[in-house]
This record gives sequence, C-alpha cells and structure tokens, in this order.
Amino acid sequence: MDILKRYSLPIFLVVLLVLPNLLDPRWQAIAITFLVFSVVALSEDIVLGKAGMFNMGHALFFGMGAYVTAILNAKFGWPILATIPVAVLVPALFGILFAGPIVHLRGDYLLVVTIGINIVFIQVLQNNLGGMTGGPNGIFGLDSLSLFGWQLTSQLATYYFAFIILLVTLGVMKNLEKSKAGRALHYLREDSLASESIGINTRTYKIFAFGLGAGLAGLAGTVFATQYSAVSPEAFNFMQSVLFFSIVLVGGSSIPGIFLGVFVMFILPEIFREFSTWRYFVFGFAMILTMILRPNGIWPATFGKIPKFLIKDSDHGA
Amino acid sequence: MAHNELILTNVTKRFGGLTAVDDLSFTVKPGQIYGIIGPNGAGKTTVFNCITGIYKSEEGSVNWRGEEIRGLTPYQIVDRGIVRTFQTIRLFSQMSVAENIMSGRHIRSSQKWWHGIMHTPASKRDELDNWHKVEEQLDFFKLSQYAATPVGSLPYGLQRRVEMARARAVDPTLLILDEPAAGLNDNETADLVETISKIRDKGVTVLLIEHDMDLVMKVTDYLTVINFGKKIAEGTPAEIQKDPAVIEAYLGSEDDDE
Ligand SMILES: Nc1ncnc2c1ncn2[C@@H]1O[C@H](COP(=O)(O)OP(=O)(O)O)[C@@H](O)[C@H]1O
Ligand SMILES: [Mg+2]
Repeated sequence: MDILKRYSLPIFLVVLLVLPNLLDPRWQAIAITFLVFSVVALSEDIVLGKAGMFNMGHALFFGMGAYVTAILNAKFGWPILATIPVAVLVPALFGILFAGPIVHLRGDYLLVVTIGINIVFIQVLQNNLGGMTGGPNGIFGLDSLSLFGWQLTSQLATYYFAFIILLVTLGVMKNLEKSKAGRALHYLREDSLASESIGINTRTYKIFAFGLGAGLAGLAGTVFATQYSAVSPEAFNFMQSVLFFSIVLVGGSSIPGIFLGVFVMFILPEIFREFSTWRYFVFGFAMILTMILRPNGIWPATFGKIPKFLIKDSDHGA
Repeated sequence: MAHNELILTNVTKRFGGLTAVDDLSFTVKPGQIYGIIGPNGAGKTTVFNCITGIYKSEEGSVNWRGEEIRGLTPYQIVDRGIVRTFQTIRLFSQMSVAENIMSGRHIRSSQKWWHGIMHTPASKRDELDNWHKVEEQLDFFKLSQYAATPVGSLPYGLQRRVEMARARAVDPTLLILDEPAAGLNDNETADLVETISKIRDKGVTVLLIEHDMDLVMKVTDYLTVINFGKKIAEGTPAEIQKDPAVIEAYLGSEDDDE
C-alpha cells in the first residue's frame, strides 16, 4: 500500500508522458484540456484547499493569463513563450492587490466578492477594454509555439508544453508542502486565531496564497491560449470558477483527488458525448452525494508529512 | 528599563456595560512563576487576551521589556517573546503532533515566502534544523511516540501537552498558560507541575491562570487574586492562603467552579 502510494504519482506522470503518442488528434486535444485544467484546479487548491479561502472567481486568473498571452502575441508580436513571465506576473499581482482588502472576510462574504470580481472581469473583456480584449469574440489568430526559431505547430508540442507546466506546478506544490509558507496556510485554515497566537501573520500568508494561486492559473492560461490559438470571454466565466471550486471540494484537496475531479468534470463528458446534455445533471448529483457521504472529498488530503526520523516505532496507530 | 519584566498598569477592558478587567496593575519579574487566580468570570482570561493582543484594553498600559505592547497584534507580540496557551485547547486538530509543534518554529525559521515556491540549500537546512527542534520538544514533553498522530484523536491530557510543546517550541521569554491543568487527572497534574518547574529552570518566565489551588500553591512564586476584574490581593502563596478577602471571594465560591 505504501509502495503504491509512493510510486503512483511517478507512474501516472510516465503514463501522461507517453499517452499522446497513442491518441488521435481529437483525443490529444482532450488530453491537453486535462493537463491545463489540472493546473488550474491545483492552483485553486492552494487558495481554497490549503488556505481554506472560498475563492469562487478563480477562472478570472486563468483568463487573465490567457488574455495576456493573446494580447502580447497577437497585438505586439511577442513569441508565445516570451509572454509567460507576464502571463504569470499580471494575474499574480492582480491576485495580491485584490486579496489585500478582502482576505479578512469570512468565508461566505469572500465567496460573494470573488463571484462579483469574476463577473466584472468578464464584462470588461466583453466591452473590449482599451481596444485590447477584442470584445465578445475575443482574440484569435495567435502564433504557434516557437523555440530557437523552430516552429512547433503540432498538437503534440502543445501537449508537452502543457505537460511541462503541470510538472512545474506539481513541483511548486511539493515545495510548498515542505516549507514554512505552505504549513502556515494549513495552520491558518485550521485555526486562524491559534495561528496568530503562535506568531503567524495570517493576512500575509493569505495574500501569498492568492498571489501564488493566481500566478499558476495564469501560467495555465498561456497554454490554453496556445492550444486554441484564440481566447474568448466565456471560457473564463463564473460557471468555470464553480467547476474549479467543486473539483477541489469534491476531490478533497489532494493531488490524486484533483486529477480525479478534473477527469470526472471535464473528460468524462467528452467520453460520453451522448450524455452531454445530462452532464450537469449527473455531476450535480455526484457533488451532492460526495458532500453528504464524504464531506472531506473523495480523496481527502492527508497530513503527517513529517521527516522519517521523527517517527519512532510505536504501537500507537500513527 | 528592567529586563524581561511585564508590567501592567491600570489596565481596564470593558465589554459593553461589563467591566471585565478593572484598573488592574501587576508586575511579573523575570524567572518567576506568577499565578493569577480568581473565581470563574473574574476576568483572568480577558487579562491574558489583553496581554497577548487578542483584545486591546481601553485604558492602561501593558509594558514588556520597556516597550508598550498594548495595541500590537498577536503575532507581533509572539515576535517579542510572549507565547500563550488557551483555556479551551486550540490545536490544529487534523494535523499531526509534530506538525502542530512545528508551528511554534514559524517565527524562528529563516525561510522567506518564496522558499514556499522554490527551495534553496539554506532553506532546506533551516527546515531540517527546525524539525530537530521539534524533536527536542517531543522528547521534553514525552510525545515522541505520537509524532505522526493527528492531534484531534489524542486524549485531552496529551492535547494539553501538545499545546504546551507548541508554545515552548517558539523559545518564548514569557510563557502564558491559561488553566493548564483544566481537565487533567491527578497524575497528569503532577506531571504538569514538574514540567512547569522544568521550563522555568530553563530560564522561561511563566505566567499562569489556575483554578486548582493545590497546583497554584505548589508551583507559583507569587500570586495576584482578582475578582470582578479587580485585584483583591497579591503576595506569595503562603500569604494569599491566609488572606481573609481571598478566602471570602475565591475559596468560598470554589464549588461553583467545577
Ligand atoms: N468577548 C467577550 N464579549 C463579551 N463578554 C466577554 C467576552 N469575553 C469575556 N467576557 C466576559 O468577561 C468576564 C470575564 O471573563 P473571563 O475573562 O473569561 O473570566 P475568567 O477567565 O476569569 O473565568 C465574564 O463576565 C465574561 O462573560
Ligand atoms: Mg478563563
């Protein structure tokens, strides 16, 4: 069981590495979607799962990254890869500025505020802000990836681009788990007053979580824009935020739980196309049942990631 | 200014019409085990909340090592070496004992926020050093065998120990304990007395609230007795035991406290 646990993620990643070579183009596209949405859901997990902040507007950070890439590429001719730092930093800074005045809000108030800002964001895109966002149709005709003068037009290249970004995200999550900042998020989610009383400036770490979550979502946005060579507002609306929120809750704020959640929410409907009209009906019920039967999610986060030298052999069920 | 002294001067805290702490003054000297006693609802916990920044008293001053700390936030006060435990245990209940204690290392860790994203050799060393500090506390509080156990599943007495271990992991100068013996059995209480003395012997000043008179008499050097938010007596345990006002106000109402 332990061995299974330890190696399941590496094995899964190896599967993801070879997978696209076995798929036809339509399935390759779906697999890219899986990777991109997994990154967004993992980044939402930092805000919602780890820090426990009810962020129901996460699609906006995803969208912001996608639009930054689209605008810089289509309007200013930047190569796609060169837009990455900006597509990460703009949402991250926006997340920090936007979190500042709201992170002290109680869960339900925070939820409403984040919904509001997501709606405002979509309105701004649709109204073609500064002639930059292209209005309701968005922006299209982005270049494909290029690296050292090579044009990487194939869908396979986009897949591996997405895969690398997933690896980066998983790496960040892993580092976060084993750091002072990452633990601070767990502490403040569990008991904010106890955290303050042990010396944690909870506000700073809440803002940090928003900034990091937003930045990673922005990174996913770059891949999304690359995949479709286009961006448009409805891909980042409030309904998408609801899905990301649900994935973290239903999945249970763990990496396997989130992969499972993304698979169920975004990939199953593709497999059972005939059922697509039933999609929200079925998933609505799945969400309700999970929350009743497994309120901590299908695959709940586990704690106890402590160094081995601290675990003394004991007969107490640790 | 005197080193490591905590001086409360005319501290008053009101909740609406209720004056929970009324013009209270006392001084805790370095190295002391200082007790605050008084009947339920006397305002003891509120005094602690005023010291640790959870509340800000309307009047008076809270001076620590020559600095006014009234109005600082709880984490700023921890930064100055004052750490507390709670009357109703507040642990991170889903997390393991070791992780709970590790939270006490937060302000001592040299990691910056960006080490949460990317580790460096220095941040890894810092991480390991702090886990070793956690190991020391696990040993000191005889909690080693529970290191990986989620704290919420432990019996009450052990949870109290974890809370003290977490506070002590901060390396505080002043440790504030709010009814540390509440809910403990006789054996556990005896252990606690020993632990508190040991902590003091390592140079930590201790300020505690306690209901258990035996424990107070055994462990404290000096006491302040409050009732209705006001000081009614102070002195050594021996003096307090003889004080008629204390016997009247506190000991007379002991039955209500259980
Ligand atoms: N947050 C609060 N709001 C209103 N009243 C409070 C609050 N905290 C404490 N009190 C009141 O202040 C008085 C002192 O309470 P407390 O300090 O908890 O007493 P003790 O710890 O001595 O038992 C009590 O009457 C209590 O009801
Ligand atoms: Mg109390």
